[in-house]
Amino acid sequence: MTRSRSTLLLLLSAAVWAVAAWLLWRTTVPTLHLPHLDEHALFPAQVLRRAQHYSAVERLFWLGQTITQLVMLGLFARFGMRWTRESAAGPIGTGMLLGMIGFALVWAAELPFAVLDVWWRHRYGLPASYVQATIGNWLALGSQFVLLCVALAIVMGLARARRIGNRWWLVAAPVFVGLRTLLAFVAPWLLGGRPLHAAYASKLERIEHVHVPVRVLRGFAEPNAFSTGLGASRRVFLWKPIVEQPFTPRLDAFVLAHELGHLAHNHIWKSIGWYALFAFPVAFLIAQTTRRRGGMGVPEAVPLAIFVYVVLQLAQLPIQNVISRHFEAEADWSALRATHDPQAGVRLFRLFASQTLDDPNPPSWDYIFLENHPTLMQRIAMAKAYAAAQSP
Amino acid sequence: MNIAMDAHPVTLVVDDDLSRNRLTVLVRILLAIPHLIWFFLWSILALLGSILNWFATLILGQPPAWLHRFLCAYIRYSVHLSAYLYLTANPYPGFMGEAGSYPIDVELPQEPQRQSRWKTLLRLILALPALVLAALLGGGVGFSYGTFSRSGRSGSSRNYSSLGGGGLLAGACAVLGWFASIVLGRMPRGLRDAGAYGVGYGAQVRAYTLLITDTYPNTDPGALLQSVEPPPEHPVRLVGDAHDLRRSRLTVFFRLPLVIPHLVWLYLWSIAAALTVIVNWFATLVLGRSPEPFHRFLSRYVRYVLHVYAFASLAANPFPGFTGAAGTYPLDLVLPEEPQRQNRWKTLFRLFLAVPAWIVSIALSYTLFVCAFFTWFVALVTGSAPWGLRNLSAYSLRYLAQVNAYIYLLTDRYPHASPLEGEDTPAEAATVLPVALPAE
Repeated sequence: MTRSRSTLLLLLSAAVWAVAAWLLWRTTVPTLHLPHLDEHALFPAQVLRRAQHYSAVERLFWLGQTITQLVMLGLFARFGMRWTRESAAGPIGTGMLLGMIGFALVWAAELPFAVLDVWWRHRYGLPASYVQATIGNWLALGSQFVLLCVALAIVMGLARARRIGNRWWLVAAPVFVGLRTLLAFVAPWLLGGRPLHAAYASKLERIEHVHVPVRVLRGFAEPNAFSTGLGASRRVFLWKPIVEQPFTPRLDAFVLAHELGHLAHNHIWKSIGWYALFAFPVAFLIAQTTRRRGGMGVPEAVPLAIFVYVVLQLAQLPIQNVISRHFEAEADWSALRATHDPQAGVRLFRLFASQTLDDPNPPSWDYIFLENHPTLMQRIAMAKAYAAAQSP
Repeated sequence: MNIAMDAHPVTLVVDDDLSRNRLTVLVRILLAIPHLIWFFLWSILALLGSILNWFATLILGQPPAWLHRFLCAYIRYSVHLSAYLYLTANPYPGFMGEAGSYPIDVELPQEPQRQSRWKTLLRLILALPALVLAALLGGGVGFSYGTFSRSGRSGSSRNYSSLGGGGLLAGACAVLGWFASIVLGRMPRGLRDAGAYGVGYGAQVRAYTLLITDTYPNTDPGALLQSVEPPPEHPVRLVGDAHDLRRSRLTVFFRLPLVIPHLVWLYLWSIAAALTVIVNWFATLVLGRSPEPFHRFLSRYVRYVLHVYAFASLAANPFPGFTGAAGTYPLDLVLPEEPQRQNRWKTLFRLFLAVPAWIVSIALSYTLFVCAFFTWFVALVTGSAPWGLRNLSAYSLRYLAQVNAYIYLLTDRYPHASPLEGEDTPAEAATVLPVALPAE
């Protein structure tokens, strides 16, 4: 392929990518002029101090964990090939083993941070378990390994196919998108939960034009909720603490309206769309960087591929968070329109600060790398903007 | 890996011709009642003697000669009685535990041995893993302190001290051997060998616990059954380098999560294998042998099961492949290359016929699990698997593979319960797993 044709193809791909991104980006949130709010006026000083202090140390843990992860995987990319001798599984199986060892080393390196995190949460009266953070996560590695093995079997299998070779990424990306879609479709049926019997649920479903089962999940210690599923499998799941005191039915209605908003605006499909948009360039970059190691068809490339993948994930994080915040803002807006109850929104977000110790106004770098929801201050500002718009 | 080991000072002597008297087998437990009463009395004395012996050995560095002789006689008597109860031997044993007086006997150090005081001080703690294994393999009769609660209406509970017997493997072999001996007048050799192995190991554990020796009990079946002739070669057997005891500490630590992808794959494969074996059963009934594609597919499945279990139980080191291909794993399985002619009657009743083997395989599955548990700790510290535990795991794996091959119609040769590997042709001897290798 000539240079000009390559450039043309690249430009064309970039144009398609940009158009698709623009289509996925559009939301129903109008241009809002959010009022400037003072967090000291909204939150009691003690709550604010606790949340800020707690979050500051949590951020340090994240930073330490991320640096450790990168260092560990960097070293593994350099020296990880030596573990090929521990395998009798052929090239693909050996690749799987190397991938799993990489993950296992990361787990080991992050263990002190996980333990510290439990200690820190206990200091602030938040639920956490040392057993879960250590042995539980050690066993949970098994399920991560299964997913990793499936991913590596696909990538390495394609890379070893004669007709595909180094262009494996062109085939692998759609395969992963397909698997992601399948998982999104199937997962809600695997989660279980008990049906929520609340009068506000059916009312909100009518308003949002989304008729889906709403279920309460036990076994979670924090107040939270999420919506998931595609088509017939769409569900909203509320974690049990959010349907208990101090969360009132009025606040729960706002939470449910938010989650129904995600479904009403097809956020699950859109997130799959964004996943697809990132899957191609990420797979392409991994294919390019591992070429010097013989390409993804050989196990020796796997440690480097994992390192590159994690670095790319980290690099994507700010963009992913921007997208996620955009969708969350639309869900908040949807909840405000469905409930016409901005006061409930404000009370809910203020309660989050005391219950989960979310920093209402985190520093910029935290906002860029860690916040996949608008900050509590932004959410309250949106509720107040809505209230202002509704008032005569 | 150098696995040179000194011969264990407690050795089992097997001089049994397998013939059994049907009448004495039928009422064996009743005939043993006088022995059990006598043994109970002797055990009380042995318990007191062992406490005295512990203090004496701590002070003197070796047991007093008279206590040594008494405890040796007690151990020997317990071996005779265990062998009688487990149908490992036929004649009625004497009451005094005399050396050389019984077909299943044990050779013990004639003189007291010098023993490390540290090992003596911590003997009961050190013996715990061996005691657990002995309980699985065939601890035999001996004094034990069992605690179990019996809650009455008042909610009270009591502890019981009792004369105990144990041994899942030897017990299973005894129950199966009882039926076989009643019908045939002979004890099947595999069951006898497995029972004798359990009894022998129990004797070593007792000798260690009662301070007759400070050499740790050796689970290597080859070392324990040196006096036993190897059984005939079975078409399903293990091959590989038994001396490769090196274990990667990293993969040992993460062995359980690492094996999970294999277990998921094995589960999926098992569904296909279960469907295939049903079709294969009909085909083998009609044709008298398995169709070639079924034989190949099921052979790979059975081999893959072995690879995964060997990896999971630390009987082998490297991460196995997902295809069950022959010659790809250091602990591999030899299976009949071509489908063999199979007796249609045996095929028709295969599942029923497999029940006794399945019972033994349950005992060996527990054994494999316990071996893996102990090997995990040792391998994590030393970077290598203990020779004895590795060979006991290999024995369990081999038997499980033979049961699988029998159930999946790869052969109609019945699984051989003997802990010893079948006798090989000289050409193959270099590669066949030497579970029966004498210690070097």
